Amino acid sequence: MSRLYERISTAIMEGDADKTAKLVQRGIDQELAAKEILDNAMVVGMGEVGVRFKAGDMFVPEVLMSADSMQAGLEVLRPHLVASGVKLIGKILMGTVKGDLHDIGKNLVNMMCEGAGFEIVDIGFNVDPEKFIEAIKEHQPDVVGMSAMLTTTMRAMAQTIKAIEEAGLRDQVKIMVGGAPVDAAFAERIGADGYGSNAPAGSDLAKKFVGAA
Amino acid sequence: MRTNYVINSGVRFQLLSQDQLQEMFDGVLHVLEYTGLDVYHDEAREILKEAGAWVDGLRVRLPSYMVKDALAKAPRSFTIWARDGNPKHNIHISPGRAHFGPGPTCPNFIDIETMERRLYVKSDVPAVAKMCDALPNIDFVESLGTVNDVHHELGALYEFAGMFPNTSKPIVAWSYDRFDSAGIHEIAVAEAGGQEAFELRPNYVHYCEPLSPLVSTFEALDKLIFAARHRVPLIFTPCPISGGTAPITSAGIVIQGAAESWMGLTLAQIIQPGLPYFMGGVFSAMDMSSMILAYGAPELPLNMAALTELAHFAGLPLWQTGGCTDSKCFDEQAIIEGSMSVLFSALTGGDLCHDVGYTESGMTGSVFQLCAMDEAIGYARRITRGIEVNEDTLAVPVIHNVGPNGHYLREEHTRRYYKNEFWYPKLCDRRNYEEWDMMGKTSFKERTAARVRDILATHQPSPIKPETEKAIEKALAEAEERVKDH
Repeated sequence: MSRLYERISTAIMEGDADKTAKLVQRGIDQELAAKEILDNAMVVGMGEVGVRFKAGDMFVPEVLMSADSMQAGLEVLRPHLVASGVKLIGKILMGTVKGDLHDIGKNLVNMMCEGAGFEIVDIGFNVDPEKFIEAIKEHQPDVVGMSAMLTTTMRAMAQTIKAIEEAGLRDQVKIMVGGAPVDAAFAERIGADGYGSNAPAGSDLAKKFVGAA
Repeated sequence: MRTNYVINSGVRFQLLSQDQLQEMFDGVLHVLEYTGLDVYHDEAREILKEAGAWVDGLRVRLPSYMVKDALAKAPRSFTIWARDGNPKHNIHISPGRAHFGPGPTCPNFIDIETMERRLYVKSDVPAVAKMCDALPNIDFVESLGTVNDVHHELGALYEFAGMFPNTSKPIVAWSYDRFDSAGIHEIAVAEAGGQEAFELRPNYVHYCEPLSPLVSTFEALDKLIFAARHRVPLIFTPCPISGGTAPITSAGIVIQGAAESWMGLTLAQIIQPGLPYFMGGVFSAMDMSSMILAYGAPELPLNMAALTELAHFAGLPLWQTGGCTDSKCFDEQAIIEGSMSVLFSALTGGDLCHDVGYTESGMTGSVFQLCAMDEAIGYARRITRGIEVNEDTLAVPVIHNVGPNGHYLREEHTRRYYKNEFWYPKLCDRRNYEEWDMMGKTSFKERTAARVRDILATHQPSPIKPETEKAIEKALAEAEERVKDH
């Protein structure tokens, strides 16, 4: 059993999506609990990917292949997670703020967060503050993530946070920000709860917010 | 099928035109034919005279056909072999291949713990050899120092004995005299499996240094004769200083220095036709206020580029110079001077570029400078590798598939190329501010020092054969016996 977990996490680290899906299916066939497979194999593998990326031993294209493998495993696992009433560790609402069409960074954070066991609601790019507010009301996320790539659009983050406050939703969510021109000092200035300097840092931050780190 | 299609593999660099090179080539032959050199070695003069040289007392002049004959005999392409057969440590000398390594004989050394300057001692030798063995862009090995704490005549032998077990990259062996050379050769031959095996796969290069202007010293030629008779690939490297021991003009110093090299070449090719032979060496400026030989001056890489082109024009490989500095410490000057000459040397394709890790104008060896220059060489090699243009690298279908506002991170094309298209630094920091802050706000100097200490604590070079260990013991014991009354 633990050997199967090890093989699943290795397949994820190696970025082998087909193999990951097959091994997860084998776990289901052996009647292992979906939650166990997720926590003891998949999240472990993706966690190691994050560690290696930070250490400079893995590069972005490889991390993406691992994230794709995680996805492939989750596809197999999802119906079983739902059937057994298992909740993921949290829900994150993600969007690139108004005026900004650059969303690669946000997509990477999504993948890493998904890999860490979050449910992601992605509301896309060039998202105005009203749309953030509607989505918070509709999806009730634990965490709201915003990205901006330009010095000209990063100000829209401050406006969005202000709008969330004015809508009376600020206390319901933790807000994290990221993107090329953003830093920790800026995040603090605009009233965000935290800043992630890259995709794994973003997922670490989200885990901290929901008490999973 | 493409017609009349020219491919540039790598960056094109050319300092001198064919006309200029021909003029310089003729200038060298003229100096050898009409001025000649003083040759302080009786047997060498005899050999040269017998082969057609004009000898008058010490002065030896060479008719140009003798020099051309020697140039025709010397190979342009050959291999220096790793002692352990590791193909990654072999050095293939041929057009367009630049290799790098340290230099010999600095009296001082930057201490690895304190980073302070002190005398170079025996225990520094294995450390330098290990560093060279581990650093990916260092191809050959010298010791960066003269051993000060053994008998004053045995420094070179102890140096080789300390380097050989600690690296399998080819060593360029310097020596005081033919006794050293013989001891060094016994060690190398023991590892190769006999003289015949050594001749097929030579595992070190011998280094001799004549005197400028226009003197072939006894020691330089005595060692040359030993190396030629034992078929040891040879470096003959003058060190003229423009304005002091050579004409102040770049064209002038190159001609004089080449004449000094080709006297050695002619002698070596008479003794051992076909001997691999590198002309050298260090052609730089005398600083007219401090009187030092400037290792960080722009005239050094410029002169060396001219010399490289002349060597290649004549069909010889070159002993290049770069990665060195006049700075006394690990600072911005050291990095600017070292990096500039490294890039310039790489562009010329000069065959073995030495003195990487020299500081204080050659007075002090530094493995920190060596390690920093390993990074600069990696950078330079990425540039000289150039740009590959073919259907796959043009990526037109990939651009089409990704389209507007997509991204390339997930493309199979990206995965296939990202490791080779990009150079990844080992010491230069590209992290964002927060991560850099979190990792201790390190400077380039601190990261370099950490890498040096990490390599020395962990790197394991491949071992030498047991019979070679015995040969080392024997060579050292015999040498100690020989000098015990000196």
